[in-house]
Amino acid sequence: MSLAHAPAAARPSLWPAAAGRVLAGGALLGAVALLPWLSGADPARTVLRARSADQNPTPAELAAVRGQLGLDEGPLVHLAHWLGGLPRGDAGVSWVSGAPVMPQVGTALSVSLTLMLGAFAVTALVAGLVCARTVFLGARRRLRQDRAGTTAAVLASLPKFLLASVLATVCGVWWGWFPSSGWEGPQSMLLPSLALGIPSGAMLGGLLDQALPAAFHEPWARTAYAVGLPPGRIARNALRRTLPGVLPQLLPTVVALVGGAVAVEKIFNIPGLGRLSLDSAVAQDLPVLQTATLALVLLGVSAGVVIRALRHALLGRTLRDGALPALHRPSLTVPSSLRWITTGCALVLLGLVTAGLLRDPLQVDTAARLLPPSLDHPLGTDALGRDLLARLGHGALRTAGVALVVTAVSALTGLLLGMAPRASAGPTEVVSTLPAVLAGLLIAGVTGPSVWGAASAVCAVGWSPYAAQTAALLEQERASGHIAASVALGAGRLHLLRRHLLPSVVPPLLRNALLRLPTTVLVLASLGFLGLGEQPPTPEWGRLLSENQPYAELAPWTVLGPAAALVVLSVLAVTGSVRGRGKGA
Amino acid sequence: MRTTSRGLIAALALTPLLAGCFAPGDGDAGTGTGSGGRLRVALAVPPVQALSPYSNDATVLSKLSVAEGLTALDKNGTAKPALAKSWKQNGDTTWTFELRKARFQDGTELTAQAVVNALDHAGAAKPKPRVLSDVSLTAKADDADTVTLTTKSPDPVLPLRLASPALAILSAKAYGKDGAVSPVGTGTGPFELTRLSGKTKATLDRFDGYWGGKAKAPGIDVSWIADGTARANALRGGETDIAEWIPTAQAKLLDDKTRHEVPSVRTDSLILNTGSGLFTDAGLRAAARKAVDGSALVDSVFGGYADPAQGLFGPAVPWAAGKRVPVTGRTGAATAAEVRTDTKGRTLRLATYTNRAELPEAATVLQQQLEKAGFTVKQDVREYTQMEGDLLAGKYDALVFSRVTLLDTGDAVDYLASDFTSDGVYNIAGLKDAAVDKAIRAAAAERDTAGRQEKIMRAEAAILRTDAVVPLVHEQAVQGVADGVEGVILDPRERSLIDVDTHLK
Repeated sequence: MSLAHAPAAARPSLWPAAAGRVLAGGALLGAVALLPWLSGADPARTVLRARSADQNPTPAELAAVRGQLGLDEGPLVHLAHWLGGLPRGDAGVSWVSGAPVMPQVGTALSVSLTLMLGAFAVTALVAGLVCARTVFLGARRRLRQDRAGTTAAVLASLPKFLLASVLATVCGVWWGWFPSSGWEGPQSMLLPSLALGIPSGAMLGGLLDQALPAAFHEPWARTAYAVGLPPGRIARNALRRTLPGVLPQLLPTVVALVGGAVAVEKIFNIPGLGRLSLDSAVAQDLPVLQTATLALVLLGVSAGVVIRALRHALLGRTLRDGALPALHRPSLTVPSSLRWITTGCALVLLGLVTAGLLRDPLQVDTAARLLPPSLDHPLGTDALGRDLLARLGHGALRTAGVALVVTAVSALTGLLLGMAPRASAGPTEVVSTLPAVLAGLLIAGVTGPSVWGAASAVCAVGWSPYAAQTAALLEQERASGHIAASVALGAGRLHLLRRHLLPSVVPPLLRNALLRLPTTVLVLASLGFLGLGEQPPTPEWGRLLSENQPYAELAPWTVLGPAAALVVLSVLAVTGSVRGRGKGA
Repeated sequence: MRTTSRGLIAALALTPLLAGCFAPGDGDAGTGTGSGGRLRVALAVPPVQALSPYSNDATVLSKLSVAEGLTALDKNGTAKPALAKSWKQNGDTTWTFELRKARFQDGTELTAQAVVNALDHAGAAKPKPRVLSDVSLTAKADDADTVTLTTKSPDPVLPLRLASPALAILSAKAYGKDGAVSPVGTGTGPFELTRLSGKTKATLDRFDGYWGGKAKAPGIDVSWIADGTARANALRGGETDIAEWIPTAQAKLLDDKTRHEVPSVRTDSLILNTGSGLFTDAGLRAAARKAVDGSALVDSVFGGYADPAQGLFGPAVPWAAGKRVPVTGRTGAATAAEVRTDTKGRTLRLATYTNRAELPEAATVLQQQLEKAGFTVKQDVREYTQMEGDLLAGKYDALVFSRVTLLDTGDAVDYLASDFTSDGVYNIAGLKDAAVDKAIRAAAAERDTAGRQEKIMRAEAAILRTDAVVPLVHEQAVQGVADGVEGVILDPRERSLIDVDTHLK
């Protein structure tokens, strides 16, 4: 850990970071190349199944496929062959289709990048709207009250696939404004971009919104206001102060959509990289999977480098010269409505759990399927006639518990790794764009189906947002004058860490973690098809949402209940943390 | 803020650059609107091998009438003439087929030599197409329009076999040196595949030289939409004229006029593992069979789009019901108390897979039924390829399984032999029963069609007697056809969809 204040003149060596990137990318590609050998699932079988669903897996056929693919040569020969072809732009041929890999991955990547740019535009817009009030008031020095960020929490906890389903049905089918699926022109880009961008935008906006008051509280802002600079100028400078802390979140939140938007790609039938890599992973079509992974790694690293450059450009010389004033939140009054919101959410959840626990979540009654809410079933029933209130109540503790543990482990890992920014930059960038499904497949390959598999898979990739955030905030904090003063006064590393660095990093980190809580619930459930996590019929909020998704239009209450519960949980977590902070300050 | 605006400009400049990548390889949007009577079809399973007839994609060629075989199947599942106008059997292993006058879409004539070439390529394909897996076929051109086919051992179902889309006859141009097969412009059907864009789209134009007359529709625009909800949405949003396989959860949302259900040859059943674990005990198997009630699934999980199971073969196999043999001599079912003692605290591992949306729901209903009968049940639900190895290794006690009962050959023996004989390669039930083996062998050897069907039904009874499989429901496929489309073929075997007569009103 390089916690001490770096001398301003010495430029840090670029080697550790570059080495970290190469090592992390190499390790990931190596793991992917070994996937069939790790999992013990015969690629001949999965490839045969992908080519022809009803083919009998006779030993002779399997041997034929094995011979065709040269599987007996082992993983290393394959990897070497694939790597050897790359300089010529040849990534081999797909094991399933026999077609060259490069054009497939290239097309899918360009589709996904386009979609990502659309999502980015929406993200920026939503983030702007979320913090518009703070910017407006702050620039006019009228910021008195703290904000809970309830809106951001609500929007950030909307499941993307549900949003996508609703948008496709309402805007695509009912109103016919946009095509409900396909990828045929800019008009088919809008709905998926909205579905992907709204939750991401709310998440980033929520983070920015919390960081802004500190910037408006700085002396320069007061001076600028006093000399009568226009509010727009002040707002711009405040954004310039706070954006660098939030920018690294773009990588795991927006850039990661290139490979991680599988559910939305499916709903809108978009031939993107997420689906391609998932299909190839399931069929163990290694050349395609390796090339897709390589594309994601390169994308992650280059986006990381760009974001880093952008941050440094925004912060400018102050960062290099160690003259950055630290951002410290002013003490704002906590609005009284916050208490009501928190209490309300807590009561709703408590009521849900108590009422639900008194009922049977597993009782199947096929005669009572898809019943709307009534006195017997206050939240209605699902497609098998199970009481939704019971399922929500029984699932609450497990869902919230696992999600909290996973988030805590991820945040802690991220915090620790983020403290060694140069070494962890590579792994962070590589892992950021890695879809959780791929991590799940690797985990499932090693451990086989297991209850804890889903949690470990999400932990394995979930730390990257926190590492990126920690690294960025620490860098800014270290460049601030008071650290230099402390060092000059003889502060040791531990003292610096405890008294200066952690206090500036932990609150934003906590907020980030809480805003990501609902996403964690959904990602955990999305690994179920690999046999990771609790098996059905165990009620779990993520599973409730995904198993009822097909009935969203026929029986909206089957998804509204779980989605609302998720929103309430997220609002409770976020407002609770604001209240906690209010008391602490 | 110079830097950010520069970044913004870069992003804005990049957008149109990347926006060029919509619908890969599909430049002209004009044809995609269904103009001029062109049919728009949304298919479910994206091509895996560029529509090679030796893969999953083969059925696309027959569904869209791109390529034909020597024979075709009629409604009752018997062979009818296609590219061969007649055939006769000369001995146990020799058949002669008379070809009709026809042209390939690339302009070349259909000749005996072309047929020999096509069949030779199918026989040499690696892995071998499923339809040829248990037969070796030699084709010889007698003269310009006569082909003699010889099989190594007697094959009573050869004409049925030849109807398989995997044995479609393509022109010589289709077969590449590296074993790849391209049906683009090389079939004989009324529609010519003119372009295939990756896994998302294909364009078909009418082939005016078709031997059976000109097709009524000028062309077909195919899009592949893997997600069932998205397919239903595309149909409801008016973006497609025909959408196949609407999931049961979406079927209710369609208009009555657009919803067409057709009995499918798919039977869903509960397979009990007789080879190892809990269900080696015949009494427990009987208890499970008695506990399980497939008809409870029909109106719930399948939303009415299924028929309660009659046996292994459902209403889509028209001759099955009339020839069904009652099952006798089954083991008596253990009572719930006996089940509790006999299982000795062991858990019933109930597996199913997520690939078909209805199966996990069905498993949950069955779990409750089995628990009522005294079993302790634990589910394992995964993606199919994630569990196939474990299934064949017998790691589960029971599996909720959806199976096509008439495979490529259109002959039921194939399914019975692979799934239920001692040496069957797909014997998930681990069944080793001499009586079953004998009954299936007898059916396989029978040449007379009616006699074969009777023996198949006798084999069915022999299998059901062992309680290795408990049929649950016979699925129905829901096809979505927009109001203005006429002449769509609702085929239980899912081999045909559009032919010369299909058109927009």
